[in-house]
Amino acid sequence: MKTAHSRFKEFFENFYLVLVLIFLYAPIAVMMVLSFNSSKSRSQWGGFTFQWYSQMFESSAIMDALYNTLLIAFLSALIATILGTAAAIGVNSMKKLPKTVFMGLNNIPMLNSDIVTGISLMLMFIAFGVSLGFKTILLAHITFNVPYVMLSVLPKLKQTSKYTYEAAMDLGAGPVEAFFRVVFPDILPGVLSGFLMAFTMSLDDFIITHFTRGAGINTLSTLIYSEVRRGIKPSMYALSTVIFVTVLLLLLITNFSPDKAGTKSSPSKGVQTASAGSKNSGIRQKILLTAASFFIIAAVSYTSWRHVASSHSDELYVYNWGEYIDESVIEQFTEETGIHVTYDLFETNEEMYPVVEAGAVQYDVICPSDYMIQKMAENLLLAEINLDNIPNLKYIDPEYMEQSKSFDPQNKYSVPYTWGTVGIIYNTKRIEELGVPAPTKWEDLWDERYRGEILMQDSVRDAFMVALKVLGCSMNSVDPKELSKARDLLLTQKPLVQAYVVDQVRDKMLSGEAAVGVIYSGELLYLQEEAESLNLDYELEYVIPEEGTNIWIDSWVIPYNARNKENAEKWINFLCRPDIAKKNFEYITYATPNQGAFELLDKEYQENTSVFPDTSTLTNSEVYQYLGTEADDLYSALWKEIKSH
Amino acid sequence: MTQPLIDLVNISKSFDGDIVLDDLNLSVKENSFVTLLGPSGCGKTTTLRIIGGFISPDQGKVIFGGEDITKMPPNKRQLNTVFQKYALFTHMSIADNIAFGLKIKGKSKGYIQDKIKYALKLVNLDGFENRSVDSLSGGQQQRIAIARAIVNEPKLLLLDEPLGALDLKLRQDMQYELIRLKNELGITFVYVTHDQEEALTMSDTIVVMNQGYIQQMGTPEQIYNEPENAFVADFIGESNIVDGIMVRDELVEIFGEKFVCVDKGFGNLTPVDVVIRPEDIDLVEPEAGTLKGIVTHLIFKGVHYEMEVTTPGGYEWLVHSTDMFPVGKEVGIHVDPFDIQIMNKPASEDEEAVGVNE
Amino acid sequence: MNKSKNQFLAFPYIIWMIGFTVIPLLMIFFYGLTDRSGNFTFTNVLAILSADHMKALLLSLALSTVSTLVCLLIAYPLALILRKRNIGTGSFVVFIFILPMWMNFLLRTMAWQTLLEKNGVINSLLSVLHLPPISIINTPGAIILGMVYNFLPFMVLPIYNVLAKIDDNVINAARDLGAGSFQTITKILLPLSVPGIISGVTMVFVPALTTFVISNLLGGSKILLIGNVIEQEFTKGSNWNLGAGLSMVLMVFILISMTMIAKYDKNGEGTAF
Repeated sequence: MKTAHSRFKEFFENFYLVLVLIFLYAPIAVMMVLSFNSSKSRSQWGGFTFQWYSQMFESSAIMDALYNTLLIAFLSALIATILGTAAAIGVNSMKKLPKTVFMGLNNIPMLNSDIVTGISLMLMFIAFGVSLGFKTILLAHITFNVPYVMLSVLPKLKQTSKYTYEAAMDLGAGPVEAFFRVVFPDILPGVLSGFLMAFTMSLDDFIITHFTRGAGINTLSTLIYSEVRRGIKPSMYALSTVIFVTVLLLLLITNFSPDKAGTKSSPSKGVQTASAGSKNSGIRQKILLTAASFFIIAAVSYTSWRHVASSHSDELYVYNWGEYIDESVIEQFTEETGIHVTYDLFETNEEMYPVVEAGAVQYDVICPSDYMIQKMAENLLLAEINLDNIPNLKYIDPEYMEQSKSFDPQNKYSVPYTWGTVGIIYNTKRIEELGVPAPTKWEDLWDERYRGEILMQDSVRDAFMVALKVLGCSMNSVDPKELSKARDLLLTQKPLVQAYVVDQVRDKMLSGEAAVGVIYSGELLYLQEEAESLNLDYELEYVIPEEGTNIWIDSWVIPYNARNKENAEKWINFLCRPDIAKKNFEYITYATPNQGAFELLDKEYQENTSVFPDTSTLTNSEVYQYLGTEADDLYSALWKEIKSH
Repeated sequence: MTQPLIDLVNISKSFDGDIVLDDLNLSVKENSFVTLLGPSGCGKTTTLRIIGGFISPDQGKVIFGGEDITKMPPNKRQLNTVFQKYALFTHMSIADNIAFGLKIKGKSKGYIQDKIKYALKLVNLDGFENRSVDSLSGGQQQRIAIARAIVNEPKLLLLDEPLGALDLKLRQDMQYELIRLKNELGITFVYVTHDQEEALTMSDTIVVMNQGYIQQMGTPEQIYNEPENAFVADFIGESNIVDGIMVRDELVEIFGEKFVCVDKGFGNLTPVDVVIRPEDIDLVEPEAGTLKGIVTHLIFKGVHYEMEVTTPGGYEWLVHSTDMFPVGKEVGIHVDPFDIQIMNKPASEDEEAVGVNE
Repeated sequence: MNKSKNQFLAFPYIIWMIGFTVIPLLMIFFYGLTDRSGNFTFTNVLAILSADHMKALLLSLALSTVSTLVCLLIAYPLALILRKRNIGTGSFVVFIFILPMWMNFLLRTMAWQTLLEKNGVINSLLSVLHLPPISIINTPGAIILGMVYNFLPFMVLPIYNVLAKIDDNVINAARDLGAGSFQTITKILLPLSVPGIISGVTMVFVPALTTFVISNLLGGSKILLIGNVIEQEFTKGSNWNLGAGLSMVLMVFILISMTMIAKYDKNGEGTAF
């Protein structure tokens, strides 16, 4: 006997529920679809494929990250559950004042912003000389997990009658036995949901992990974050889909088990409801326990396998940019030398610097850019390379050794790895639509017609380089007047800019999001090949602006605190071998300074002037130099002004 | 004066396929105190909630003062409810709780103030206006719940096991209190309980329910003294219910012995259920009784002794008596004819089920 | 239970808290109140008053306030409906909202980029339907959407939990005393769910105030929030002292939220899980 009004209300409520669910699950659906997309691009459908799923299982980076993520989530949840449950029982017996203080402290990690928690832990680990790594992530995760456990155990504990405990004691059970046989079963649902909550929070955390992780260790979150900048590999979507579907299935099994029938409440069925409910949760507990023990077995066997696989006496800690090496090169190096490589990634020079400076992680060989090498050398963070150990140096074009002198005057700290220019990439079709001639100079990026179509680099030096060059100044200027002018110029440009991005230029240009972008020349080959394979109806062209640009060189250096210096030199020598340099070039597509490798390349590559420009045409171009702390602060303050405007 | 205030006509209700009320008809006269009595799950609370408007029946009509209110939402009905566990608004003061209904009706401030004072006085809680709900005892909360309902001057007050959460002494006090209130206010009460003593003490009409059916409706005396079936007999007070055979009118055979009774019209040699209240059994010298037995249990209950007398065949009679017979003593059982209650045996399995639950 | 003995069970965690909550916070204070060479100074904290930082803070406050309100507006009716439906068990409701968290937070946010971009999924759908495209990517609107999306569960769950605990008869009593549906919500449910609301508001507001990832991914790095400033000081600007000083300012808001919770949610009713 439903009235029209209540039917309408019900329809409206259903509609609302569905809407919220769509909102919650639409991005997840998008990811699932992308995991089957044969194109790497996020916004172009290239056909159905399973390749990302097989790639995912083959990628040791992803599998390691998955393993770390699950292990950290499991261990931190487990330890937090034990610690939190004990603490909950303890705090339950406290007097009011200590209890209030205790709960206040307990709430801090939960209420504090993740960024403050992460930073505070990082500062402490560094101050106490704890090297950042697996254990620091674990400690951090336990810290923010305990409050969630306490939150779900405490209410259950309050509901538990203290008399049951006394009754058990009265019937002859010892305190421990009484607890585990009587009190514990009562609070078990709270303990379990606390564990689950902690596990989920740990799994989903990025920020705290970001600040407390160290060398050679990635969780899925940090791996994804390092990929965000370079474009996420679809195998990540594949992995997430697998995880999501697994969890969903587990949930469906536990929630819709056959005895579901009795769980809807009706006044007459109170007793049955209760019993069916407890049966249901019993099944859930069993499944949880099974899943947990399965996970422990898998983890232990994987750990022991990894241990066997990695029991090398010779080690090398490499710190490199994301996607900046052909992974098979690392394997080949290990095969040939027997040196086991721990490979770690950074996204920006500025992010790498404090890590090395603090010495929290000891790397053996690092690949920073020009000006950063200068800064590190000036701050005595670098060790001289014994060039005798690097016979393959002879393959490096002397021209680049010469260029390197601008930041490493005696060529004693660094060996060039890649080099390139910064230029403008443009979408031929889009600029035609906008009625703008192809850009030839930086100043064109101030053309009103490009409103909302420009992608600028999200990096202080690169952004100021563009403005300084337009003004005709040196990109290494420290003159506050010139810099304020550059700032003003960038401010006038901001309304035209669609976004400040780093490596996402690639994805956005491919998907036709923007007409022009500032890009590193090394991205070009990848872009052009991908554009071709997608059959786009436009071309992406690259131009080195007339005003001159930044010539950048990324070189290998050895930090002062390297523990395996000779291995590091072996590594550098290996990478200078022409066949290896060629292999790397073909993977990362950033120009190689290696003459030997250049000669091995296809003609098509050799003649690509975007990638290998004639250096004689780069007359106005410069290499970045380190400008000192004061100038750094000035740049960063001016940049903040631009960003916050 | 004795118009039916509320009429339930052919009400049926089921939850998830379980029938809770089946074609129920009930009529409540104005100014009466009607108690719905039965074990949990018998449908009494559902009936109350249908009157209150919190659930709508699948079939049937609710007539209130001659008007069909079946589809009327609870906030439009001229009746109020006192809920199980009180359902006070914990975020409000006592005065705000009581004033809630009046404020919604837009009564004037002065009127509301007077009413709060009056209601608190009525429930013997003068001066509690600004106390918080949490600071009250269960009994006090119960009185506030009643005060909150009656300030709205409902024609009908529904009470859903209002005393269930109170201890024995308080419960007894509140029973008298409720009777007093009922008499002072002149409102019709529909009261739900599973406590037979409560029902017998307060009501002028008792409706015994089981498994969605009304088993018997009548005055407390009728229900107690003349239960219409074994369920009512068993549920109301303590009873000895034994198999018997109606030899002819006014003569029933129990365990092979013949008892004189006052019932007629069951036919000759019909199997029947015989109900005898424990206090109606007189224990006499073995030879003076109709049946002989041996006292097997004896407990002193204060007002009387409770004894179990086992007769040949093994039946244990429950007997209440002010005279004491020690365990092991042989006694005779005598029952006066008007103390023997004869009932038809349930006709089918189904009806049996109706009778024997809980 | 043996009270005094049981208290010792809390000891390991007390030590843990001192080691991993208190000392790290002291480290922030230490860095925040010194300059690069270790001398005591207030400059890092007062730096919040500089135009850029103030702007970033105010913008963060504005965006997080808006997204908190939007979350509340979406979550409250949702929690009411969920309470009414009593879908399965309470844990099922929790799962529906926790489930997306098993898909990485960064990936989910990236997926919004795919949805919202100029040539993204939503605009493609709109163009199929011959509707005008929306362009909210790289605007504050997109950041708010990202915040609402990521933090909505933290608003729904505490409110739902508080609402689910309210006895049906309390609502029936209000109806019985003449309150209509709307009055029942405003006079009974809303006041009774204040603990849940406060806890939800805090759990949304604080992370929204301090996020740097969402603004990076959905704001195209054109919009600088206070979280971005701090993150950049630590990872790019390498001025940890300034970063720590600004973090101390953020802690003020955390203190405020702790006080709010202590005041309105004494019994821990408004806990999310």
